[in-house]
Amino acid sequence: MTTSSAFKPMTRWQWAGLAILALTALFSLVAPVVGGDPLVQDLDHVMVKPSAASPLGTDHLGRSMLARLGHAARLSLLLAALSVLTAAIPGVVLGVAAAWRSRWTDTMLSTIADGVLALPGLLLIVLLTAFAPGRFWPFYVGLSLALWVEYFRVVRASAQSLLRGPQVEASRLLGFGPAYIVRRHLLPELFPLLRTLMTFGAATSVLSLAALGLVGVGLRPPTPELGTMMIELLPHYQEAPWLIAEPILILLFAVTGLALVAGEREFR
Amino acid sequence: MTFLDVRDLSVHAGTTAVVRDVSLRLEESQTYTLLGETGSGKSLLAQAIMGNLPAGLRPSGSITVFGESSTADETVKRRRLWGHSMALLPQEPWLALDPTMRVLSQVAETYQRVRRPSESRESARKRATGDFLTLGLEGAERKLPGALSGGMAQRTAFAAVRSGGARLLIVDEPTKGLDAGLRDSIVSMLKQVAANDGAVLTITHDVAAARSLGGTIGVMLDGEIVEQGPAAQVLAEPRHDYTRRLLAADPQTWGPRTQPPPLGPVLAANGLSKRFGHHQLFANLDIEIAADERFAVIGPSGSGKTTLGGMLLGLVPPDSGSVWRRSDVPAWKFQKLYQDPIAAFAPRASLRTSLRDVVSRHNLGWKEVEKWLDRTRLRASLLDRLPDQVSSGELQRIALVRVLLLRPVLLVADEPTSRLDPITQQETIELLAECLVDAGCALVLVTHDPAIAGSLASRVLTLNPPSPPAP
Repeated sequence: MTTSSAFKPMTRWQWAGLAILALTALFSLVAPVVGGDPLVQDLDHVMVKPSAASPLGTDHLGRSMLARLGHAARLSLLLAALSVLTAAIPGVVLGVAAAWRSRWTDTMLSTIADGVLALPGLLLIVLLTAFAPGRFWPFYVGLSLALWVEYFRVVRASAQSLLRGPQVEASRLLGFGPAYIVRRHLLPELFPLLRTLMTFGAATSVLSLAALGLVGVGLRPPTPELGTMMIELLPHYQEAPWLIAEPILILLFAVTGLALVAGEREFR
Repeated sequence: MTFLDVRDLSVHAGTTAVVRDVSLRLEESQTYTLLGETGSGKSLLAQAIMGNLPAGLRPSGSITVFGESSTADETVKRRRLWGHSMALLPQEPWLALDPTMRVLSQVAETYQRVRRPSESRESARKRATGDFLTLGLEGAERKLPGALSGGMAQRTAFAAVRSGGARLLIVDEPTKGLDAGLRDSIVSMLKQVAANDGAVLTITHDVAAARSLGGTIGVMLDGEIVEQGPAAQVLAEPRHDYTRRLLAADPQTWGPRTQPPPLGPVLAANGLSKRFGHHQLFANLDIEIAADERFAVIGPSGSGKTTLGGMLLGLVPPDSGSVWRRSDVPAWKFQKLYQDPIAAFAPRASLRTSLRDVVSRHNLGWKEVEKWLDRTRLRASLLDRLPDQVSSGELQRIALVRVLLLRPVLLVADEPTSRLDPITQQETIELLAECLVDAGCALVLVTHDPAIAGSLASRVLTLNPPSPPAP
């Protein structure tokens, strides 16, 4: 028998999700370059149907939908990636610390986490946007602040049972230090959990940004953003249904891709 | 009445047969015990009879249950009998209980949903409560399975299986890892099932359990029944060579070993006490262990043996008292072997990686590993596997190699062989004893089996069952 992989290989659905996600990311990279300036209006050509000249048509102010959607997708994916990373890193570090260190550290960190958890994530973002209306950073800070608790709680719970288990006890007896225990015992067990949490966290970020844009407390027009675009294009639904369908499809692609990558729960 | 008649049952994995031409009969009020070592195909035989073989395995032959015959692959026919006519008590019964449901409700639910005719909600709870009383489980009714001890979980699973009303019961390794007291109570429960117009097919590697179950015994080797007959006859005058080896490996028949003379102390404990909840596990224990000495701690389950072992290694703090360990050697010269070796390895790292980590941490050479692998008769190719891809016996030997690499001065072995079949158990204990002599290492053996302790150790400490709380 040859060395077998310790991790479950990706399923077909996960590959499909990854492909959808890659296409969305590619679109967000290419479309802004091809589509030109997303803010330039051309009132002679409003709500033009998709054609060779403007592949996704133009909106009610004659702006290129290709450019606007490209920028919006880029913004959403960037925010998702940034906030997931800034939430995951402290979440994991603090979770391991709480499981490892004294009871006092654990109580303190858990109390803070519970405090953050008591505040709904969206409310936290809305509160922060009050300081800087229409700016990007309140979303980033708000989402990261709301999301790190999940990582903290999941990592703390699994690390606690692992650290008390015989495999870690055996390694300590064999003379291994904390770095080895984290590398060999904790991280391999935490990776599958983190992958799921991170993909769902990214989907939450994308959806939150769009939801806040849709209800008008998010980024302000004319910034291209999926939620604000939807609410801008909603009045023109009768004449140009394809226009509002475009940001919705981008959102659907991004979220579906992320959900598929998360995969099914691993039963062992 | 014939409850079960199996004819020429085989189980094929691809082109190889893992169970070959097994025929057996089980009449009303009888017990049949399949005896054999781990990996001999006993559990597969049980699954083939039930009709729940894992995917990829193909049965052939015929199986008649309560007079209704079916070919081995007509699993749907037998599946209809599950629960209320024939039932399987699986290995590791606590895995078969729902971890999120209180245990009394799990038993009552079976009375309500599985039994024919089914019981009303009230009478189901009443009967389940009655079962808990007769099985000595009173007080556990409202607990979740995670809060039960191994023996209690075993009895709860038994109650749940019984409440379905099945008269044909198939039991897979019911005494694995249990001490003699619990083993006897499980065996008497099974005998009662047979006495009340039932029939029990037991699968075990436990010779003592097979002896007290009586009835018919079939000895299985490499997927075949090599010897079959009344228990008394098979156990007293085994005809097949394998049966003789199996009986000879029973710890009760081992002779005492010659003991090396004691040297200076490696560990000394003074006035150790530990309470667990309201139970006093032990109080004021003084222990001194000499280098090269073999010391055993025995006692029934729940008596604090494992806790004491952990305390000697400094893993568990005592309530009072102190432990002195030789201070002129590093802390990692004190090592431990675990009851369940698979729990002591990083599950996603290959065994080679785990061993290489130890070698590089302590600047040893890989030659050392090869030497001990050789000594424990392990093939080096095993190391490319993950911990769950080798047998428990092999893994326990690899665990032994891992601790011996460090040339320990003291090894605490916590029930190192209680999950192994008798032959593997005997080999492992032999190896342990030989390797400890080679390594010049003292041993604290924690076990429930006085026979193993008596054979291996020069001194035995017996812990009493936990004392009830003072009134």
